[in-house]
Amino acid sequence: MRRARRAAERYGYAFAAGCVAAATALFYAGRPDFDTGQWALLYLLVVGLVASLSGVRPALTAAVLSFFAWNYFFLLPYGTLRVADPRDWLFLLVFLIVALAMGLQTGRLRDRESQAVARERETALLNEFSAHLVSDLPVAQVTRQLVAEVRRSTGAPRVALRLQGGETVAAPAEATDLSPEVERAAAWVAETARAVGLPAPPEGRPEAGANWPAAAGAREAGLGASDRALLLPLRTATQPLGVLWVAAREEGTAYSYQEARIVVALASLVAVFLERVQLQALAVQADALREADRLKSTFISAVSHELKTPLASLKATLTNLLEQDSPSARAPVREELEAMEQDLERLAVSIDSLLDLSRLEASAWGPQLDRYEVGEMLGTALSRLPRPDRDRVSVSLPADLPAVEVDFDQWVRVLEHLLHNALAYGGSRGAVTVGASATAEETRVWVEDEGPGLAPEERERVFDKFYRGSAAARVPSGVGLGLAIAREIVRFHGGRIWAEEVRPHGARFVIALPRVAPEGGRG
Amino acid sequence: MSAPERAASILVVDDEAQIRRALGSILATRGYEVRFAADGRAALDLAIERSPDLVILDLALPGLSGLEVCRELRTWFTAPILVLSVKGGDADKIAAFDLGADDYVTKPFSAGELLARVRALLRRASGQAATPPVVTVGELEIDLAQRRVRRGGQEIELTRIEFDILAYLAQNAERVVTSKMILEKVWGPEYADSQDTQTLRVHVSHLRRKIEPHPSVPRYLLTEPGVGFRLSVS
Repeated sequence: MRRARRAAERYGYAFAAGCVAAATALFYAGRPDFDTGQWALLYLLVVGLVASLSGVRPALTAAVLSFFAWNYFFLLPYGTLRVADPRDWLFLLVFLIVALAMGLQTGRLRDRESQAVARERETALLNEFSAHLVSDLPVAQVTRQLVAEVRRSTGAPRVALRLQGGETVAAPAEATDLSPEVERAAAWVAETARAVGLPAPPEGRPEAGANWPAAAGAREAGLGASDRALLLPLRTATQPLGVLWVAAREEGTAYSYQEARIVVALASLVAVFLERVQLQALAVQADALREADRLKSTFISAVSHELKTPLASLKATLTNLLEQDSPSARAPVREELEAMEQDLERLAVSIDSLLDLSRLEASAWGPQLDRYEVGEMLGTALSRLPRPDRDRVSVSLPADLPAVEVDFDQWVRVLEHLLHNALAYGGSRGAVTVGASATAEETRVWVEDEGPGLAPEERERVFDKFYRGSAAARVPSGVGLGLAIAREIVRFHGGRIWAEEVRPHGARFVIALPRVAPEGGRG
Repeated sequence: MSAPERAASILVVDDEAQIRRALGSILATRGYEVRFAADGRAALDLAIERSPDLVILDLALPGLSGLEVCRELRTWFTAPILVLSVKGGDADKIAAFDLGADDYVTKPFSAGELLARVRALLRRASGQAATPPVVTVGELEIDLAQRRVRRGGQEIELTRIEFDILAYLAQNAERVVTSKMILEKVWGPEYADSQDTQTLRVHVSHLRRKIEPHPSVPRYLLTEPGVGFRLSVS
C-alpha cells in the first residue's frame, strides 16, 4: 500500500492521466444507461481520488483532463468538443470550476497531511535523540542508531559515520569499508569543517539553513561533480568529532531540504552527545587524580601524627622534669634527663626531616606565598636555636634588602638546615656568618662557616639525600637530609642553591631567588 | 615559681591519652585544676558544665574537628583558647585564629614553652589584667603611661602608629597577636577586616629597625606567618 502511495506521489501527472483514462473507459461501457449530466459527478470522484493520492497539481491536471473527456465522450454530439445544447456550456464551466476547486482543496489537505506526518516523525526522532544526550547509553549504540535512522529517513543505500578515532559505524552494519574517494572526501570535510551536498534552503525561507555548516561543492571535496552524496562534519566548537556520509540515491536524485534538515539535526545531537562523553571521561580522570593526591596527603598526615604523638609526649614529660621548679631535678638524675632530652631532640629533627622530604616529594606541601623580609625569617630561625648556638651566629644584611615572595615556614626550615649544618660542621666554637645581597634579577642569601669545608667533588653530592660527606665522622648528628630538603624547597620557589669554597677554610651555602617569583613554582 | 593565687581551671582536649597525661602532669603540679576531654563533643559538654578559665585544644581531633570545637565554643565562651597544632605551617592553625583561638603551641613542645603561654593567657584574662606601666623587653623599656621608649637610657623616637603597635604587643607580651587585632586596635574597628596587611608590615618593619638590637634580624618582635606577630620578652 505504501509503495503504491509512493508511486502515486512520484508519478502524479501520469497517475492523473491514467485515472481519467481508466474512468473514461469504464464509463463508456455504461454510456447509454446514464444521463449526460451525471457523468460529471463521476468524474469529480476521479479528481477527488487523484487529489487525495497525488496532491494539488496532478488533481488540477485530472480536473482539466476530465473536463475534456466529459465533453468529448459524453456530451452530444459524441466524438467532438462541440456542444449541441447551449445549456451544456454552463454545466461544463461549473464542472470545471468545481473540479478545480475540489482538486485544489483536497490536494492541499493531502499535501499538508503528509507534511504533518513527516514532521511528526522527524520530531519524534529528534526527541528520542535528545534524550540520548543525557543518557548513559554506550557510544556504539547511539552511533549505530544514528546511521540506521539517517538511512531510514532518507532512503539512502548506505550511510556511514567515520569517528575521529578512526572507527566507522555504518548502516547496513557490515558496510564499513569506504572507497578511497569517499575516505579522502571525508578527511577533507573533517579538516575544513564544510558540508557537501546540502540543498539550498527553500524559497522564501533564506534563514532556514542559517545554522548549517558552510557548504562546499562535491568537486572541491574530491567527489564526482554529479555525486549527490551528503557529507557532514560533526564537531564541537573547538575540535572535530567525525564525518557523516550519506551515499547518493541509486536514482541519482538529490536529497530534499526536508531530508537534509533531519540529517543535520540528528548529526548535531549526536555531536553533542559525543562531546559530552568525552568531557565526562576527562572529569572522571580529574577526579581520580584528585583522589590520589588526597590519599597521599592523608597518608602522610597519618604517619606524621603517629610519629609525633609519642615524641610530643616524651618531650613534654622530659622537659617538665627538667624545669627549674621541678622537685625531681636533682643532680645525678638531672644529667640523665638532659642526655635523654638531647637524644629526643635528635630524634625529633630526624623525624621532621623525613616527614618534610616525604611531603615535598609527594607534592603534598604546596608553598603558600607571601611577601616577607629575609631578616624576619632569619629572626625566627635563630629564635629556635639554643642560646649558645645563637650567639655564634653573626648576621650582616644590607639595609635596603628587598622583601621576597616565599612560603615563610618553608624558608625558615631552609635557613634552619643551613644554620644547623654550619654550626655542626664548623667546629664547636667556629663562627657562622649570614649575609645577603640583591641585584635587579635576584636576591641572594648565604650561610658561611669556618669548618673544614667541602672537597670540590663533594659540592654537588652534598645535596643528595642521606649524604653525609667526609667530615661526617666528626659530627654527632644528622641523617643527611637537610640539604636535600633545602634544595627541593628552593626549587619549588624557582631559585638555586649551591656550595662554595671559603678561604682559608670553610664552606658557604648560597641561595639565589629570582626577584619576581614564577607562577606557583613547581608541584 | 609560686602557684597562682586562685587555682585556675584548665580544660585539656586531646584524643591521645599520653598527651593528656603529660599535660595533666605539667599543669597539675603547678597548681592548676585540670579537666580532660578526649573528643570534641565531650569538650563542649565539659566547657558548658565547668566554665574553665582556659581551654587547651588539639586541632587534630577525630569526629568533631578542633576547628569545629573552636567555632562552637566561640559562640558563647570568652576565656582564652590555646590550640595544639602539629607543625608550624598548618593551615588549620591559621584558620583557628580566624575562629577565635588566642595562641598556639606546636607539637612537640617543651613544658617551659607551654607554661609560658598558659601564664601569659591567664594573666590577661584573670583579674590581674593590669599591665605594669613599664614593660621591659631585653634592653628596652617601654613606658606605656608616658608613651616613651628607651634603650639603655637613650630615648627612641617612634611615630604614633609605631608606638601604638608596640604598646599593644607589649600589653600582650608572649602571646600571638593577630594582624586583625592590631589593625582594629591601632587604626580602628572599621579596619579590622581589611585585607591590607602590607601597610601594617611596613610599619612593623620600621619599628623593628628602631627598637631591635639588630636592625634587620628581629629578636623580640617576631612574625607569626599568616597570623600576625608576637613580642617575645624571654
